[in-house]
Amino acid sequence: MATRTVMTSRERVLAAMRRQETDRPPFDLSFGIATAQLASIRARTGADDPWDYFGADTRMIWPGPTRLDTDFSRYLGRLPRGSTVDEWGLGHVPTASTDADHAHLEGFRHPLEEAESLADIAQYPLPDVDAAYRYESVRAAVEAVHRRGLAAMAMLECTIFERAWYLRGMERLLLDFSDGSAMATVLLDRITALRIGQARHYAASGADVICYGDDVGTQRGLLMSAAMWRTWLKPRLAATIAAARDVRPDVLVFYHSDGNVEALIPDLIDIGVDILNPVQPECLDAAALKRQYGSRLSFWGTIGTQSTLPFGSPDDVRREVRTRIETVGAGGGLFLAPTHVIEPEVPFENLVAFVEAVTGERG
Amino acid sequence: MDTDALSPLLSALRDAVLDGDARGAASATERALGQGVDPQRLVDGALIPAMDEAGRRFENGEFFVPELLVSARALKASQAIVTPLLAQRGGVVARGRVAIGTVKGDMHDIGKNLVVALLQGGGFDVVDLGTDVPPTRFVSAVTNDRVDIVGLSALLTTTMLQMKATLKAMETAGVRGSVKVIVGGAPVTQRFADEIGADGYADNAAAALALARRLMASGA
Repeated sequence: MATRTVMTSRERVLAAMRRQETDRPPFDLSFGIATAQLASIRARTGADDPWDYFGADTRMIWPGPTRLDTDFSRYLGRLPRGSTVDEWGLGHVPTASTDADHAHLEGFRHPLEEAESLADIAQYPLPDVDAAYRYESVRAAVEAVHRRGLAAMAMLECTIFERAWYLRGMERLLLDFSDGSAMATVLLDRITALRIGQARHYAASGADVICYGDDVGTQRGLLMSAAMWRTWLKPRLAATIAAARDVRPDVLVFYHSDGNVEALIPDLIDIGVDILNPVQPECLDAAALKRQYGSRLSFWGTIGTQSTLPFGSPDDVRREVRTRIETVGAGGGLFLAPTHVIEPEVPFENLVAFVEAVTGERG
Repeated sequence: MDTDALSPLLSALRDAVLDGDARGAASATERALGQGVDPQRLVDGALIPAMDEAGRRFENGEFFVPELLVSARALKASQAIVTPLLAQRGGVVARGRVAIGTVKGDMHDIGKNLVVALLQGGGFDVVDLGTDVPPTRFVSAVTNDRVDIVGLSALLTTTMLQMKATLKAMETAGVRGSVKVIVGGAPVTQRFADEIGADGYADNAAAALALARRLMASGA
């Protein structure tokens, strides 16, 4: 790459995601690490925080804790032992998995699955995720991350669709969409209003990247038709992005959807998305996307947590990183990361190989 | 009733199911039965072809998950009328019996539910074991429910490995030989299916139905 001066992590992230040359591509460890894997990494490294240990370029930031204490029991009924309820009223039910704290291995109890009237939806007690007091800690956290020279990611994932189906149940919500139900309209509008408030607070906080996301892809294509997505979700997602840009026009907009969402890319660019994540190599060709959209879109992720990281060798991992830098990294626009949570099957050596291949260092 | 007179009644039902029109499917069913169409003929001539076509459209990217859900809902509206009539005279002629579930530790069921809908639409009798299903539960389904095929689903690389544990449990219990085992889910590949000794793999719900039919035809 042309620029040889060593950049700070934040400079690297900002430049790369604005599609400028950097000393190397930025990287991080994706959204998290499964409990068993985290314990194993801590044991191997003797370090508490893998992000610190491996020198990841970003840190994630969430709103501060709520002061509300809503009782959702009338919506959830009796939950199995060991269940928890979050501030949205979603019941989290443990499974028979031995890795019980792993967020992907729990069941949901949807509080609005049995809702039958518009009033049920309109009166549902939503959280105060947009309350100003919850962003005082966000501003402090962004400053702290910046002082360390790192880039701050403000987390706004499960923006609309996923949040809505967590409350309503996925099949129920998709049937509501198909039926043109006013219940879906009200649910989505209420969530969108909260997200607009959050987006404004996040933009004002000085965070470098706002991470939006709703999983709308399967690995074979879209979960719903592009027409349905455009009717129900695109305008609302656009409003939440516009709200952030209204406060800070240059804030970077990151959009996450698992699976193959290629059919939506022009729409996403159209509403102001700068960065697509996670670009799963199992179902998307990052090099082809770079050729087609690379002048308007950056790519974040691309290293498969379903294929190479768990089942490849360290050499396979290094090869995947090198291929990505060659085919997607030219002129910036590439952020390397595992495509999702690092599952327990990923060998430690593969993580080390990933980081070394990105940074060009040998441990 | 001759075929010419029958076909508009059957195609009205088939179209209602494909359009996801539950009310239309129910009234088309009533109308056909009222005109003396045999209930089994409705299943074979309208419901199964409708869900086959829905599956084909899903495989081709013309249908997405919501379209399959509304078609399955319309199918159920018709089945609610037809199935009791068939039960009165000794039951539906099932194409085979499948026990299906998402393996232990895994709660993901959208894909599994689509397979259930298409198998039921395709004339299979389905025992849906749900999610987070331990190997012992699959074993007891084979022992107690007299199934021809067991379907295992998983979304994660972590839980995918439970498929192997489930097959092993079936072997240990001595029931592996009496059923065919099919596997699917995002991280699952044909190679993985071969490695763990499954009898088949499908990469989508319509392909799973085709696979189940092939296995039944080959004497599952």
